[in-house]
Amino acid sequence: MPSWPANPKYISHETRRIDAPAKVTGSARYASDANPGGWLYGMILRSKWPAAKINSISFEKARQIPGIKAVVLAPAIEERQKNSSDLTLRYYGEEIAGVAGSTKQACLDALKAIEIDVTELPFVVLEDDAKADDAPKVWADQPNTSPAKPKESGDVDKAFSDCAAVIEGFYTTSVQIHHPMETHGNTVSWTPDGITCWASTQGITSVHDGLASALKVDQSKVRVITEYMGGGFGAKFGPGPHGIIAAKLSREANAPVRLMLTRFDQALAAGNRPSTFQKIKMGAKEDGTLHAFQLENYGTSGIGGTSGGGGGAGSDVPAPYIYKVPNTRVNHTAITTNAGPATAFRAPRNPPASFAMESAMDDLAVKMNIDPVEFRLKNDPSEIRQREYKIGAEKFGWKAKYKKPGSSPGVVKTGIGCAGSTWGGGGNRRTRGEAQVNPDGTIEVRLGVQDLGTGTRTVIAVIAAEVLGLTPEQITVRIGDTNLPFGPGSGGSTTCASISPTVLDTCTKALQQLQTQTGVPDARGENWFKACKKLGVTPLVVQGQWQEGLSSSGAGGVQFAEVDVDTETGLVTVKKIVAVHDCGLMIDTLTLESQINGGIIMGMGYALYEERVMDDLSGVVLNPNFETYKLSTISDVPDIEVVLLNMPERGVIGIGEPATIPTAAAIANAIANALGVRVSSIPITPAKVLTALGKVPAPAKA
Amino acid sequence: MKAFQYATAHSFDSARQLVADNNGAYIAGGNDLLGLLKEYLASPDLLVNIKALPGLNKIDRGSNTWTFGALVTVAEIENDPHVAKTFPGLQQAAAEVGSQQIRNVASVGGNLAQHSRCWYFRHRDTHCLKKGGDLCYARHGENRYHSLFTGNTCISPVVSNLATAFAALDAKVVVLRDGKETPMTIAELYQGAWENPQAHNSLKPGDMIVRVEVPTIRNVSAYIQASDKHAFDWALVSCAAAATIVDGELSQPRVALGCISPVPYQVEAANEFLQGKRLDDETVAKAADMILKDAQPHEHNGYKVPMAHALIRRTLLKLKG
Amino acid sequence: MKDTDPEVFGAHSRRTFLKSLGTAAVTAAAAQSQSVAAELQKLNSEKVIGPNAVPVTLTVNGDKLKLMLEPRVTLLDALRNYSSLTGAKEGCDRATCGACTVMIDDVPVYSCQKLAIEAQGHKITTVEGLAKHGKLTKVQQAFVEKDALMCGYCTPGFIMSLTALFNRNAHPTADEIKHACAGNICRCGTQPHIMQAALQVAGNPIKSKTELINNA
Repeated sequence: MPSWPANPKYISHETRRIDAPAKVTGSARYASDANPGGWLYGMILRSKWPAAKINSISFEKARQIPGIKAVVLAPAIEERQKNSSDLTLRYYGEEIAGVAGSTKQACLDALKAIEIDVTELPFVVLEDDAKADDAPKVWADQPNTSPAKPKESGDVDKAFSDCAAVIEGFYTTSVQIHHPMETHGNTVSWTPDGITCWASTQGITSVHDGLASALKVDQSKVRVITEYMGGGFGAKFGPGPHGIIAAKLSREANAPVRLMLTRFDQALAAGNRPSTFQKIKMGAKEDGTLHAFQLENYGTSGIGGTSGGGGGAGSDVPAPYIYKVPNTRVNHTAITTNAGPATAFRAPRNPPASFAMESAMDDLAVKMNIDPVEFRLKNDPSEIRQREYKIGAEKFGWKAKYKKPGSSPGVVKTGIGCAGSTWGGGGNRRTRGEAQVNPDGTIEVRLGVQDLGTGTRTVIAVIAAEVLGLTPEQITVRIGDTNLPFGPGSGGSTTCASISPTVLDTCTKALQQLQTQTGVPDARGENWFKACKKLGVTPLVVQGQWQEGLSSSGAGGVQFAEVDVDTETGLVTVKKIVAVHDCGLMIDTLTLESQINGGIIMGMGYALYEERVMDDLSGVVLNPNFETYKLSTISDVPDIEVVLLNMPERGVIGIGEPATIPTAAAIANAIANALGVRVSSIPITPAKVLTALGKVPAPAKA
Repeated sequence: MKAFQYATAHSFDSARQLVADNNGAYIAGGNDLLGLLKEYLASPDLLVNIKALPGLNKIDRGSNTWTFGALVTVAEIENDPHVAKTFPGLQQAAAEVGSQQIRNVASVGGNLAQHSRCWYFRHRDTHCLKKGGDLCYARHGENRYHSLFTGNTCISPVVSNLATAFAALDAKVVVLRDGKETPMTIAELYQGAWENPQAHNSLKPGDMIVRVEVPTIRNVSAYIQASDKHAFDWALVSCAAAATIVDGELSQPRVALGCISPVPYQVEAANEFLQGKRLDDETVAKAADMILKDAQPHEHNGYKVPMAHALIRRTLLKLKG
Repeated sequence: MKDTDPEVFGAHSRRTFLKSLGTAAVTAAAAQSQSVAAELQKLNSEKVIGPNAVPVTLTVNGDKLKLMLEPRVTLLDALRNYSSLTGAKEGCDRATCGACTVMIDDVPVYSCQKLAIEAQGHKITTVEGLAKHGKLTKVQQAFVEKDALMCGYCTPGFIMSLTALFNRNAHPTADEIKHACAGNICRCGTQPHIMQAALQVAGNPIKSKTELINNA
């Protein structure tokens, strides 16, 4: 029965990322860098109408553009054409066709040369407009609103009357776009021998299976490679329409095709986090215990469904989130709009749940004149989070810093806030691994898993080094290839908990077999090379698999935020974040800290800058770029202090998602504390701050 | 981008001729032009490189007037210690243009001549009024970044940081038009956008900004902008102020605002009011009231009124040093 | 990079490009260059090139890249798609993210917003040109030590911006570091560690404030 070593040398310490040298020298190759011989450039033609029926398409002129080798229909259009069904496009940016050519310029010209005739249809892009009875229907045969069955516990109506204090609020969150720095896309080569796909993906197996099934190619003839990829955050699963289009182009052109989405495309059709509009009513008893909670929530996932595979694309939220309230009623209505479909986005449903619930918590705490940390200690059922609040509050200096809302002096007001998070994590039990021990003492550890920048490669090297008494730099890690033993998709913060037990098992078995085979009783460390030499001319190859008892689920954390708000301009500066997180056994605390930093910065963007803006007149996405979809710069990033609670006895869990859940809530609470008035809609822009302060004049008459 | 031919002009006449004869466009730094071309918002058949034209890339520190050649980069203005000393407001404005990568290639002329940043104008699939369509989408749609003052139906504001700073310094922009040098005030340079919804400024086809002349009479200047992000972000509102201060009294004061009108916005009555005054809280607040008195906020940009009010007060007080 | 012969790069090599145009186009290209020469003589005026591909020579990391490019090809496009120098990345193609940052004459610029033909005659440096004989530069080494990268896609751009900064100023302040990198966007959230790495190179290292509580 394997177990984690008691006094590890590398595990739970800082280890440098083993692929850092490749990344800092530019030698790391991503899907967008793949250049198999004879490769062609690929591009996609997208709908410029939010709703339209295609009457005719002609590729004739496009095919004549010099350098163009292939033009194909998007799979959904082709499918509908075959079934003689209505060729209706339902959102601005929906895929229509793809072109492949010897240059980017040829492709640009070819896109312009595709002739398409449509009949424009009525459309609706804003949630509140889509709810109206007379709103145009996004799908002809169903309403735009889809209410879920209410979830109830206890007797919430009676319970409100028993409350000493009740608050009501309307908390709203925007549609957030993943915007990884590398856009979605693949380089695909489809020949009679099969398909090779260099994918920018979080799940090489999901791309593999998706290509095989969509293109009716034997699974054994598909290979997906992801040595490096430039971020995913939940949206990069499956080949996507763009992957299928790239494959079809490749087959028609008889050449590999590199087809990456443009940043513009990325904002339209690569997935997003649904919006939420949460009307909360919440009450507590005299002693401060939560007693009644009611939520009416609606939001949009665009046309619905998920474009990239993966779950969690709904606009529903877990409520009352991490708190236990005896009397609850939760209503949710999904709203369909003519907009790009949502897909899982880092901790699906949780950041909006945390934002609304934690804002309501602070609003109620303030109304009852209870300190917000005390209020949480009273109501948070998690013993670990209780400890985290206490540790964090002390490190943050909560007691000394806390002032009554709006009471800090001067034009620039300071405020503080906090919030908690929870997440599952846990491991994929079907994960497999392989180790090849070479006679020269080098060792290759192979898993069909991918590294998104989370440090997966390094985790493998750390555990292997720990078991074998080597250094992480001595381990050769091979990942990112479906030819390697099955590995999990990197989602749900489950990667570490999947691969860690697997690598421990694989390397433990490799060590045991090496010892048995060579007769060296302890082949670790300084005996390693001597033992390997005894292998003679035959490397030792050993398989391993995920084992029970080395991982678990249930990670969490709390975050504290300090902000300055300029009450004359409405501008917000986040000064400091203190984050206290647990995720079981921590493998590499250096890369772990990076993950937490990253989650915090993403959560800050959600709080202050990020929203997809739809134009209701034209139906387009108004900000399909980084100019007006704003991502934090180095100058926006606050001072971040991280406290890591290492709990080896719980095994490996996972951290990617919990790190981003409570940040927006903590910042929003800090802003409310600074101003003395709540801005209940994120992103919290200067306009919203000034409006909350009553300083914005009404619009002049048109 | 659509395919184009490319030529480097070695004389002003050949530059003008090439542009006129070939549906051409001048290219200096290329930040704005290439952005337009990539979205097919402009489709010249020929790009005429003007970076080889003589005499356009120097800062000349004259005794009464400094001259900034149109090809001087924004980075040069940001990093020039003499500029920082004599025109601190201009230096501050330059330092916040985009990012260093942009400033390193951006030209003074291009920064002044840049096209509207309105997201309807910049969007490849909304045929707005400025592009020859029938409707100013922003008026009825998403207008959080738009003007508080306009002379016509289009509500897209001027957003050039340098324009705001130059306006407060009473700069003259010298435009080469049909072979003749035509000086304009900043107000005159943008009057075209005030009057004509399809214009971004007063430049006609073939016009080339060749230099900006800035009088040194004002011994203090300042610039502040408010942006959502702390860096690399367009201003929501920007403010520049300049004056001569002698014995604590303002002389020749100018206050200009960017991002709230198609022209860097000045109110003569406010400048006159400030003449001879000392800078204190009451005075600057009154000036701000006067400047913003006739603001016409739209549905989403009313926040610019209190924001501009704050910026005006702070920029003026910053003149005290 | 030695591997700069454009002949070897897929469909973008001169050989296959001309092949794809067909003989008629080759003749047309030759005819066009003849007519340009005629124009020149006739008017004694400026040389007009394009719109079809023209010979372009780029000096990158000390090597000469000889390419055939249309005037509308950007420097980024030229590097990534007409050579093997994929270190500069395409993050937005709109001069808003910095992933494409290279140095032209030691000055950082967005290669996506620079025409390749205009980069001729200048010294172009990409991330691949920094480490000599495999030895990481101080900036690169600091990035490795401080974990100033995650997915790595924005990393070459940040390294170029900071390398340019340290070439001008060996001891920048924290504010100067921020000012130098403001034009580089990172989605993974490496900025805090980038600051630590840069401050280390500046000779002003800050200690990490991370606290690890074991057996919590």
